[in-house]
Amino acid sequence: MTRYSLAIDIGGTFTDAVLLGDDGKSYVDKTLTTHNNLLEGFFRGVDLVTERAGIAPHEVDDVVVHATTVVTNALIERKGPPVALILTEGFRDLLYIREEHRYDMYDPQIEFAEPLIPSERTFTLSERTYADGEVGLEVNREEVLKIIEQCREKDIKSVAVCFLNSYRNGSNEQAVSEIFAQEAPEIYVSLSSVIAPQMREYLRASTVAINAYTVPITRPYLTALIDELKARNFRQQPLIMLSNGGVIGAERASNMPVRMIESGPAAGALVACYFSRIFDIPDLISFDMGGTTAKACMVQDHEPLVTGTFEVDRRYRFKPGSGMPITVPSIDMIEIGAGGGSIASVNDLGLLKIGPESAGSMPGPVCYGRGGTDPCVTDADLVLGILAADRFLGGDMQLDLEGAQIAYDKLGEKLGLSREQAAWGVFEVVCEQMAAATRTHATERGIDYRGQPLLAFGGAGPVHACMVGELTESPKVIYPPLASVLSAFGTLVTPAQIDLVRSHVSTLGDLDWSSVETVLESMIEEGSAALSEAGIRKEDYTFTHAVEMRYLGQQSEVRIELPENPCDNRDAEAIRSLFETEYERQYGLRLDGMQIEIVNWLVTAAGRQPDRSASNTDMQDGGRGEETRPVHIRGIATEVPVWRRDAITDSDTIEGPVIIEERETTIFVLEDWVVHRHESGSLVAEKRTSGKGAN
Amino acid sequence: MDGVELQILWSNLIGIVSEQARALQRIAFSPIVREAGDLANGLFDEKARMVAQAVTGTPGHINSLAAAASNLLENCDTDKLEPGDVLITNDPWMSAGHFFDITVLSPIFRGERIIGYAGSTIHHSDIGGYGIGSGARDIHEEGLWIPPMKLYEKGKPNETLFQIIKRNVRTPDALMGDLGAQVSSGMIASDRLNALCDRYGLDDISTLSEEIITRSEKATRDVIRKLPGGTYHGTSTFDVPGGEEIVLKTAVTIDAENGDIEIDFAGSSRPSSMGINVVPAYTHAYATFAVRSSLNPDLPNNAGSLAPIRLKLPDECVVNAKYPSPVNARHVVGMYVPFPILKALAQVVPDKVVAEGSGAVWTIQIQGKDKDGTPFTSSMFNYSGGMGARAGKPGISAVCYPTGVSAVPVEVLEASYPIAFTCKELAHDTGGKGKQPGGDGQRIGYRMRTGRNWLLNTIPSRLKSGPEGLLGGEGGAAGVFHINGEPVSDTRKREMQPDDEVFMITPGGGGYGATK
Repeated sequence: MTRYSLAIDIGGTFTDAVLLGDDGKSYVDKTLTTHNNLLEGFFRGVDLVTERAGIAPHEVDDVVVHATTVVTNALIERKGPPVALILTEGFRDLLYIREEHRYDMYDPQIEFAEPLIPSERTFTLSERTYADGEVGLEVNREEVLKIIEQCREKDIKSVAVCFLNSYRNGSNEQAVSEIFAQEAPEIYVSLSSVIAPQMREYLRASTVAINAYTVPITRPYLTALIDELKARNFRQQPLIMLSNGGVIGAERASNMPVRMIESGPAAGALVACYFSRIFDIPDLISFDMGGTTAKACMVQDHEPLVTGTFEVDRRYRFKPGSGMPITVPSIDMIEIGAGGGSIASVNDLGLLKIGPESAGSMPGPVCYGRGGTDPCVTDADLVLGILAADRFLGGDMQLDLEGAQIAYDKLGEKLGLSREQAAWGVFEVVCEQMAAATRTHATERGIDYRGQPLLAFGGAGPVHACMVGELTESPKVIYPPLASVLSAFGTLVTPAQIDLVRSHVSTLGDLDWSSVETVLESMIEEGSAALSEAGIRKEDYTFTHAVEMRYLGQQSEVRIELPENPCDNRDAEAIRSLFETEYERQYGLRLDGMQIEIVNWLVTAAGRQPDRSASNTDMQDGGRGEETRPVHIRGIATEVPVWRRDAITDSDTIEGPVIIEERETTIFVLEDWVVHRHESGSLVAEKRTSGKGAN
Repeated sequence: MDGVELQILWSNLIGIVSEQARALQRIAFSPIVREAGDLANGLFDEKARMVAQAVTGTPGHINSLAAAASNLLENCDTDKLEPGDVLITNDPWMSAGHFFDITVLSPIFRGERIIGYAGSTIHHSDIGGYGIGSGARDIHEEGLWIPPMKLYEKGKPNETLFQIIKRNVRTPDALMGDLGAQVSSGMIASDRLNALCDRYGLDDISTLSEEIITRSEKATRDVIRKLPGGTYHGTSTFDVPGGEEIVLKTAVTIDAENGDIEIDFAGSSRPSSMGINVVPAYTHAYATFAVRSSLNPDLPNNAGSLAPIRLKLPDECVVNAKYPSPVNARHVVGMYVPFPILKALAQVVPDKVVAEGSGAVWTIQIQGKDKDGTPFTSSMFNYSGGMGARAGKPGISAVCYPTGVSAVPVEVLEASYPIAFTCKELAHDTGGKGKQPGGDGQRIGYRMRTGRNWLLNTIPSRLKSGPEGLLGGEGGAAGVFHINGEPVSDTRKREMQPDDEVFMITPGGGGYGATK
């Protein structure tokens, strides 16, 4: 009997479905996302792939995994029901004061996102915990009861609590939660000391506010999902993809929606890890480019880089700082406001500029013929001949070449360049923007990006990846199969995983191992519970440990992976030496004689890596480079052979420049690169070592 | 070079300074650098002209750093610089106007040749002497003066200088760590600039920098040429610690033909006996900020875009500090420099300016011994009031303007020092009313948890009168500074009793336009 697993990824535009059999056969489809009721699209996708495979729901006996944009949508649309925030008395404007920072020094017109929870639904309690954990003032029950009363008057069903220094001692927050549980069990309470127990009050308040705001949306959504799957005779409880690149049970996920924000993109990064293992390439960069943004993630030693903080809903010109910060573990994503729909223009300096304005999908690029008039990145690809007007989406959508050419004539005029030179400029500049973002991102993390292969997917990714690879000095670009539904596939190769962080500050010299042990044990207990709910067998549990440390007096930590549970041998000197080595690697110096401080303890609880794979092996005739079309490369019209992806066999070696077409995207490989097919079904472009270089 | 090639190289340069700044911020010790972002990074060409700056920092630092590089190099024989050399100074007149700000400049070699310099200025946690505050009577009371010299020579630390610094500051570990961070960020910039040259087959960046600087200057002049020529006047009056009233008067002359602007400070207050005098480079930094942010904030900030803006400073003037005037708290006056200029520009580009705001951030430093008797000296921390309103938008509450720093989080301070805050929230209705209201200031209170006496250094301003409104808008509320409920106006460094409690309200921003 074939075992089947199912994955559904709901994105902004499409809902992708993948059904995978353990016989290696996969069934994929895409359907439009149904924003009014996301589950409608979910089950349409389910029906499409199960029908295609000819199986009934109860035959899906392996996992059902779900990645969803529901939380991000809720934050951007701001249509959620009213929620309340409870803060320490004297500090009621945490969400309004933020960090007192103007994120753009020169622009006097900047704006900030309105706080998710407004002043009129913010309450304060007279309570106080100090930085050393001492409770100076306990919570007064009467005050909490009054707040409960007001919440009921305002029909509030979800409450966030963030008290000063609760990262150190959450007992006052717990007290509030207990009173709510006794007196108002219908109100869901999110505690900052549970959701994000880390120092910095604004970050923690912002994070717990987002959680409280989205709980009333995710709980009914995921409950309905669980019920509907059961009603349709699916065997398993669904698993939900989290931002950190792990999956956990839907019920647990529904209480921590703030951890689901990067659900879809995280799945994309996980695919990169999957292929890094298949290719046995420990370090690579995933590169996903869509209509409005591009996302990249660095994979190191087969694992994605993770970050502790990120930002959602950037309100003002996509600028960092204009959105809401979140501090929970997440795949560390480089997000660039440049996609196929990004608009090219000429600025006051006479320089070509791309984005951040985007034509989106409505009206879209000029060539979509929906009324767009500004030259976009996709228009440049068409003008250059990389895309063909009659082959877009397998020919289902005719592109307006003439419109795009007119737009590029105009842009060229402003730059003093020909139509094709201007288009090539856009192609080059957009690739350079992504390469530059990758370089900065890598440096911030102390990583040498040079020589790392790229893994390209997303609608526009394969078009630009080879050029980006030139600019990041990558020797290899990998184009995986199922590129158009790759994130959904990613959820199926993702182990169950939850990342836990606790602030427990101490210098290395004064480390109290017994209290460290208590902290680690409570994290392991929480991790075990999450794994058990995700249906993981006990013998498959793994726990890995890490610390975030710094020299005493610094404000920013370096993450150190520990080889084992540090309580096993309590060796502070070994931790010191790991820190010093890593610090020197990242920053080129060692500060001898300086005290070292541990700030956070981290535990990752994970299940086994699932053993699933997919490839499509169907062969058809033709499309083997017999046909050519002119492409304007660096201003020179070159006849470039066109292949169909599914026509390429393992024995083919194709010299660049070449165009390889598949239904949802086009691969464009430059001269000096050679393409072959890998047994995994991926195509691989490799830079010839004796090549001429980028320019 | 065409607009495409230049854009690609240009975004590479910006990437390099951003990398440099991020590295610096990550490994800095002083909370004011890491949490507050009180730093500047710039990349200079071989002629010491600033080509690119990081998108972090403060106008005061960035534009002062631009001047610091050429000042440092004028004082050394660049032919004799060798790989591994690193230059340093905290001379107020050569760099950012007070001793706390140390500028470090690393030559970038490509083979044997210098092709540029990587520079950074950061606010260090202590520099000996008086500490944070405006109470010193001359500059020598304010701390350690480091003339231009080598911090590293051929990669070897200047041990003499290191020993002198360590002995003369209260927080030697933090200062050494932060200097190390500056040196390290310079190394990163040097690596990256060479990698850029390798990637694009360049011998140096002279053509590139020439293009960028020329285009930036031309674009700035073109913007100015579109303005109506003439001389426009603006005055701002505010009170500083101790109650002294300062007047800044500007006559802004727009030469629409040549596309340049001259700002004359004639009629402004004379030098002060307090440490609030501003060196010309810092005045220049905030004056050019006012013009640039009003005319075209999207243009890059570099030697070219700054060139068309000239300053004329009277000889005896608070914004033209001369030796041996104390300058420690120069930001108190320096951060007001933009406002008279914005008032003048309001007559020219009313939709682009900002009404008067709370101006200088209020800075605080605490010193003492903790419960166990270990001495501590805090880094400076600062709080903002309300920003002035814009033509089409309200002023933002509790945000630093014109500077670009952040506040250090309460939890970070409470974990670092034995301080406990009693409140930190918005002071509602302190912003001036208007068609667009000014931003609100903040109510902030704190005390110590040591049971011992302690020292307090604060620099509040605008305790007598709040910021004015613009074009019919109402003014913002003045600030409040209380110790144990009593107003205090003399804010020199003071000895505090164990249970003393500080309470302050930072000023609100001015409104814009009359309320209907």
